[in-house]
Amino acid sequence: MAWRITTGFTDEDDGWEQTFERFCSAVDTTRVRALIVGAWECVFDCGPDDVIEALLAARDRLPALRALFLGDIVFEECELSWIVQTHVTGLLRGLPALEEFGVRGGTELAFQGLRHDNLRSLTVQTGGLPAGVVRGIGASDLPALEHLDVWLGTSSYGADCEPADLEGILSGTRLPRLRHLALRNSEIQDGVATALAAAPVVARLEVLDLSLGILSDEGATALLGGQPLTHLKKLDLHHHYIGEELRQRIRQTLEPSGVEVDLGPGDGDSYEEDDGTVVRYVAAGE
Amino acid sequence: MSPSGSETLPRFTVVGNPENRRVALFAEAVTAAGLPAPRVVPWTRVLRAGRTEFAPGEIVRIDSPGENADVDRLLRDVDDPTRVEGTARWYARFLAAVRGLRGGVRLDDPDDLAVLFDKRRCHAVLGAADVPVPFSPTSAAAGAAVDGWDDVRLLMREHRMPRLFVKLAHGSSASGVLAVEAAGRGRVRATTSVELAPDGRLFNSLRVRRYEREQDIAAIVDTLAPDGLHLERWLPKASQHGRVADLRVLVVAGRATHAVVRTSAGPLTNLHLGGARGDLEEVRRAVEAAGGSWADALAVCERAAACFPRTLCVGVDLLPAIGWRRFAVGEVNAFGDLLPRLTGLPGSGAEGLDTYAAQVAAVLCAHSTSPPDARPATAPHPGARAGFARDPRHSSDPGPRHRTGPDHVIA
Repeated sequence: MAWRITTGFTDEDDGWEQTFERFCSAVDTTRVRALIVGAWECVFDCGPDDVIEALLAARDRLPALRALFLGDIVFEECELSWIVQTHVTGLLRGLPALEEFGVRGGTELAFQGLRHDNLRSLTVQTGGLPAGVVRGIGASDLPALEHLDVWLGTSSYGADCEPADLEGILSGTRLPRLRHLALRNSEIQDGVATALAAAPVVARLEVLDLSLGILSDEGATALLGGQPLTHLKKLDLHHHYIGEELRQRIRQTLEPSGVEVDLGPGDGDSYEEDDGTVVRYVAAGE
Repeated sequence: MSPSGSETLPRFTVVGNPENRRVALFAEAVTAAGLPAPRVVPWTRVLRAGRTEFAPGEIVRIDSPGENADVDRLLRDVDDPTRVEGTARWYARFLAAVRGLRGGVRLDDPDDLAVLFDKRRCHAVLGAADVPVPFSPTSAAAGAAVDGWDDVRLLMREHRMPRLFVKLAHGSSASGVLAVEAAGRGRVRATTSVELAPDGRLFNSLRVRRYEREQDIAAIVDTLAPDGLHLERWLPKASQHGRVADLRVLVVAGRATHAVVRTSAGPLTNLHLGGARGDLEEVRRAVEAAGGSWADALAVCERAAACFPRTLCVGVDLLPAIGWRRFAVGEVNAFGDLLPRLTGLPGSGAEGLDTYAAQVAAVLCAHSTSPPDARPATAPHPGARAGFARDPRHSSDPGPRHRTGPDHVIA
């Protein structure tokens, strides 16, 4: 069971920290295994620094805590790219027993390289991820990490990552147990796919996920022309801009080997401006 | 229905725009109940005459003056009905016209309409009756005056409202509504159906736009402000299949009779702006699953409607907070009954009846000395639980005002 702690948006609602305090006095915290942090009251203007402080102050009372999600905030509360985040490295360092960690929102998100021996799953959902976070993850020693899910987003919302910034992740040297890699929701999904086509980490993967982004024929061609992917259990490309011919080739190349290929029900949306420019979107921008 | 009976039957009259489907749908409901077709008094005539008399037994329904360019011109002097400006004038002239209607048995009330068409006053009346409403700094007399965008910004800071709705005090159908969100670092965005023309004029558009330049937002709000603005905290709403949801609940004669779910990918759920009808049964289940009560949700709407005891029918916009457990009332609409073909809620007494038939049945029930064959066979008694006038202020009166002429109705 996971507990979700959030503040409401009416005047009579308590702040996040007060709600958390009430929670701690109401339940047997020694048995709490999973916590979900919903909205904090200043989510538009400030990151969850006070939330993190409260969590770290309570860590001795949370000895069984293994899973934490920071910022389970839906678009009607605050849209993805408007969520203000903060440095999360200290939180991870302070919770060495944590096995699963997720965070939503890229604005002011920071992640420095660290060593964490127990983390098995790391999820970073953003509409625009600063390159520093990508490099920070790549510079981290995560010997237990099996599942890495990173939403790179678009430059309109602060993404400034280039394929070279993915090097630490793609080499896989610090991620020996990685089985599931998602580098998705990216404006530069073609570049990501091209980099992956030759990335050492791919050989140890069971699932490769390049979904939600602007993946076009260029990226699909690179994948088909790169290292074999037939060892995968699943290749997830849903929400893409790949033409029918290449879709067929991907299926024909991989499905006979038992790879489940998810090309989704259809293409991503696009929009043609008055001057004929075609605009394509990542699935989660705002 | 025997022709000889027609002299004793209730006679309905509608003040409306004769070409409008609202009038046609109401007329259908009246004739379906076995009554003579209603007399239609056009708004154009009412507005030009200044004063209109009704016969003592005539049951008078006031319908929306909307969707007619001539009427619109008479009410707010604009050349183009898609313009947004002029609602303060519209409000003054509309109320003056309503107050100029004399006699008859009225299904509406000028004082109720004066509140219903002023979101600031409506918010205050609901709040005073303990109906849950989103916080507003502009509620009623004590509320802040908003002269433009600078004032909006100030109130947002003062009341810690990074997200709010800016609404025309006298607007309807999402006209002049902006969903505004601002972050401390200078980012601001307004989602609205207002189209800002290059020359600064404002138009109602069927396309929802997003303005992200503060100068554009300021230009729109500054132009809207002279008509009066109402500000309200934007409560995060619950969603259904990834779309934000709210409900339009019709309350007839004190009782919630009809409800639709409206869902949208953005903050404006109006159906003409791309909102879609959601699944009501699913909402009901979500409310119950969250530990809430569907009956309580409807009761909130009935409490809101009870603030307008001399009005037969209002449409309440019910906003479910995220989690489906808590509700607030967004708006109460005087002409919120245009929900074609929608039949009544189970247990509401209006099962099988559309919104117009339910109102006709409620009127016949309130004047229930009418002969049995004048009542629609399928109509139980929606008004049985509460006559539409159940204003405690009038409890010692011999009868609520709308009943001043029941004898004449069945003369």
